[in-house]
Amino acid sequence: MIAVESLRHRYGATTVLALDSWRAAAGEHCLVLGASGSGKSTLLAIVAGLLRPSEGRVEVAGEDLGRLSGPALDRFRGRHIGFVPQKLHLIANLDVEANLVLAQFMAGVAQDRARVREVLAAVGLANRLGAKPAQLSHGQAQRVAVARAVVNRPQVILADEPTSNLDDAHCAATLELLESQAAACGATLVIATHDQRTKSRFATRLELAGAPA
Amino acid sequence: MNLARLSVAYLKARPLNTVLNLVLLALGVGTIALLLLANHQIEERMGRDARGIDLVAGAKGSPMQLILSTVFHVDAPTGNIPLAEAKKLAQHRAVKLAIPLALGDSFRGFRIVGTTHDYVGHYAGELAAGRLWEAPMEAVLGAETARTTGLGVGGKFVGSHGFAEGGEEHGEFPYAVVGVLKPTGTVLDRLVLTNVESVWFVHIHPERHDDPGTVLAHLREDEQEITALLIQYATPIAAATLPRMINSTSALQAASPAYESARLFRMLGVGIDVLRAFALVLVAAAGLSIFIALYNAMEERRYDLAVMRMLGASRGKLMRLVLLEAVALALAGAVIGLGLGHLLTEAVGAMLAAAQQPSVTGAAWLNAELWLVALAAGVGLVAGLVPAWRAYRTDIATTLAQA
Repeated sequence: MIAVESLRHRYGATTVLALDSWRAAAGEHCLVLGASGSGKSTLLAIVAGLLRPSEGRVEVAGEDLGRLSGPALDRFRGRHIGFVPQKLHLIANLDVEANLVLAQFMAGVAQDRARVREVLAAVGLANRLGAKPAQLSHGQAQRVAVARAVVNRPQVILADEPTSNLDDAHCAATLELLESQAAACGATLVIATHDQRTKSRFATRLELAGAPA
Repeated sequence: MNLARLSVAYLKARPLNTVLNLVLLALGVGTIALLLLANHQIEERMGRDARGIDLVAGAKGSPMQLILSTVFHVDAPTGNIPLAEAKKLAQHRAVKLAIPLALGDSFRGFRIVGTTHDYVGHYAGELAAGRLWEAPMEAVLGAETARTTGLGVGGKFVGSHGFAEGGEEHGEFPYAVVGVLKPTGTVLDRLVLTNVESVWFVHIHPERHDDPGTVLAHLREDEQEITALLIQYATPIAAATLPRMINSTSALQAASPAYESARLFRMLGVGIDVLRAFALVLVAAAGLSIFIALYNAMEERRYDLAVMRMLGASRGKLMRLVLLEAVALALAGAVIGLGLGHLLTEAVGAMLAAAQQPSVTGAAWLNAELWLVALAAGVGLVAGLVPAWRAYRTDIATTLAQA
């Protein structure tokens, strides 16, 4: 599902990410580990098609991302990739339901309110459809962000430090939610984290050592 | 969900900014609309009033005053001229049509004009009821005069001296209304028409039971005066010779309605230009305000824009979103402004009508107003360009990773 070859990313003269080869199979759940600054977020951004790497080849769901034009890459990302950013970045002006409809609208897929409600029910927010993000607890907002990532039934779900600000109970609940939702769409799940609590749950791990000189 | 609804959601999230921008734009557009409407209607009205009158001969004085008082009926006359001289002039072969006017009195602010049936014919006036005047002290009312005063055929009224309400009344000698005219859209609507003799009769202060016929038969020649003669040329060449002839060889003054109204508009034009420039400054200020509001909003919205990109939006889509927001705001401002302009025009019209002045109406549409809408949309578009470009350039990966 994800195949990375000879990947390098540099900001100016500084190499922030170097990864010779990495693969994640369809439906696989995988952790990307490493200290901050080791390039975890950069790797996720590259796999999501948010960032074009300085060098290397990235294939996601059978598409070579480097060969897609800008708008085609945007379209591909909208339809096949669900992204849960570290700062959840829900749209403050829109209510919970509209935040999910926005994901359908921006991806250019049919706006399906039944699907939106189904996903919100699955993350336990069926009764908060009309709430604005500011009215939600952090845990609830996190669940909206997960719901937003899965609403278009992506093939790959990427989560950047999803547990960094959570206590143990919420940490476990969030991971469980990500896993169950990924399983529900049969998506490959990749979680970037430096949170030691997550390690035990996942067999497949990628350790990023940080930038080589 | 679509881009328009998303734009509206963002506009609603900043209500104070949105209202400020709408008010600024609406004031600018409204002022321009008022100027357009009033200017156009007054010009059109003056054009209709002056149409077919090539020259006015009256007493010496300000030519503009002569035109204003005898063609548009808004100023005091310059004085009177002897009927004999007017008759001589009317017989000149360069004159095709000469209509005498005798002014001096009014009825509730509407001027009483002593004239001939030619005057009604000139403005294509038609009777709505009754007949035209035949004998002294018979009067025909213009449509607006009849409507405002509530008088109809068979009614009686007394004129008062001068043109303002509350002048000395000629109480002994009431006029009898014998006819009412249909609306013509000209100055005729706001007049009371009678024959020249009626005006003479009232002004020589006859005894209570004098018979107009007998009194008028004994009128001395020097008492037979009129205010002005409206002249239509027989040939275009008359324009070159007749005014000079009148001005140099008689005690009369000749003034051209076309020339004097053009002069009037040139003088008023400065004021209108100043107002218009002021309104354009308001529109430009609104554009700047929209620009600043959007520019600042882009700073707050960097994350939202990055999220939309993350969710699959292309750069072009975000650019359209921002431009749409600016243009939607500008268009809403323009529409409110046009409504405001029409309301203001109607209000000004009501004030003018209450003063028996030629009125304007807000219930009229000018195609030039479409240009105002286009102007506002253009201002919105320009104001949105730089913020849209910022949205286009947003670096999503970096922005998403930021706090």
